Amino acid sequence: MNQNRVDEYRRNFMTTLGGVAAVAAVVPSFVLQTAHAAGEVAAKPVDQAVTNAKRWGMLIDVTKLTDGGAGMVAACKKEHGWGDEAHSADTQKAHWARVVKVTDKLTQNSFSLPVMCQHCENPPCVDVCPTGASMKRADGIVQVNKHICIGCRYCMMACPYKARSFVHEALQDQKPHSPRGMGTVESCNMCVHRIDAGKLPACVEAAPDAVIFGDLNDPNSAVSQAMKTIGGKQIRADLGLNTGVRYHGI
Amino acid sequence: MTSKFSSVFLAATLAFATLLAGCSKAPTEADLNLATAKAKADQCVEPESVIRTKHMDLLMHQRDATMIEGIRTKQHSLKECINCHVSTTKQDGTPLHYGDKEHFCTTCHAAVGQKIDCFQCHADRPQTDDPNYQHTVGSTAGHHFTQGVTAAAAPTAAEVQMVTQPQQGAAK
Repeated sequence: MNQNRVDEYRRNFMTTLGGVAAVAAVVPSFVLQTAHAAGEVAAKPVDQAVTNAKRWGMLIDVTKLTDGGAGMVAACKKEHGWGDEAHSADTQKAHWARVVKVTDKLTQNSFSLPVMCQHCENPPCVDVCPTGASMKRADGIVQVNKHICIGCRYCMMACPYKARSFVHEALQDQKPHSPRGMGTVESCNMCVHRIDAGKLPACVEAAPDAVIFGDLNDPNSAVSQAMKTIGGKQIRADLGLNTGVRYHGI
Repeated sequence: MTSKFSSVFLAATLAFATLLAGCSKAPTEADLNLATAKAKADQCVEPESVIRTKHMDLLMHQRDATMIEGIRTKQHSLKECINCHVSTTKQDGTPLHYGDKEHFCTTCHAAVGQKIDCFQCHADRPQTDDPNYQHTVGSTAGHHFTQGVTAAAAPTAAEVQMVTQPQQGAAK
């Protein structure tokens, strides 16, 4: 009797889950395919400089992230090869992206979201950098020019999102497309090497149902249209930084 | 006065002799099997003389263009230098790093006593599963210095150490 009841519950639950998964698989992939057809990340000619005609950004639908963003973080790790610093303590290890769990103390309602560099229009990390290493590219990507980074870590202090980390140890066998080294600060660079090649960032590819990537300057781009329809919240919108990474469902 | 002069002269002669001895230790062309290297030099992105004297300037210019403006042309890209000139493994199959005497960059940098900073961050060898990653000379032709160079006077451990280790304190 008892066993039957459990089975019934389980069956109902799995049916519902399957239905949700099916919907999630059909609808957003349609949106993303449209985005591809619209040339969201058109390959730039390699010999031309980026311009401010485009501003890259993404909308992350937290309600559709079944794993709270862990898959996106794993994809980032794999793409850039961070997180395996053998001689660093856990608090020192690189974190280009991390999963943050938020719980409402009153209702105990809880959810997780991936937090990485928010690619602000007015980035505090660029303001404080004494050498100009912390920089915003013309197309809105905020990154560290490690050639001139002196490792002072002011930008880590300035960032309200705790998006930056410091490499404490000598590294070997870095990814050819993602140089990382001791004594420099690093953070999410929106997979700048992939964008320049006309590809989506690794985390977006890892969660195609939950993330829409595109040009925020173009009102007709999929990401702009999605934000117009369902809205897109900034974390710490009160700071007025106009972030390029927006969230739905937080 | 005369004795002082003679001692200075003696010291200078000694120094010159040491210098000559040092020169004789450096690999001559006869020591090196440079056929592959020369074949590749013809296909390099710039003439050999330009590469020898200006490669650091070309790389410096390219790094800023890539980093700041997103220009990713391949001609002066460090990644492409590595893809063409450096093998993924040593002859015994272990990974090749710039601290090894076979590394294309280290062979010269050790001889001229110049530290390399690039590879503290950048990958120092190609990382690909594709055996045909190389440029037109082709993977079967081998790489500079990694294959076929057996008679050359290899850089000493101290020289390699000098190339790879960050120097403490003020720059010399």
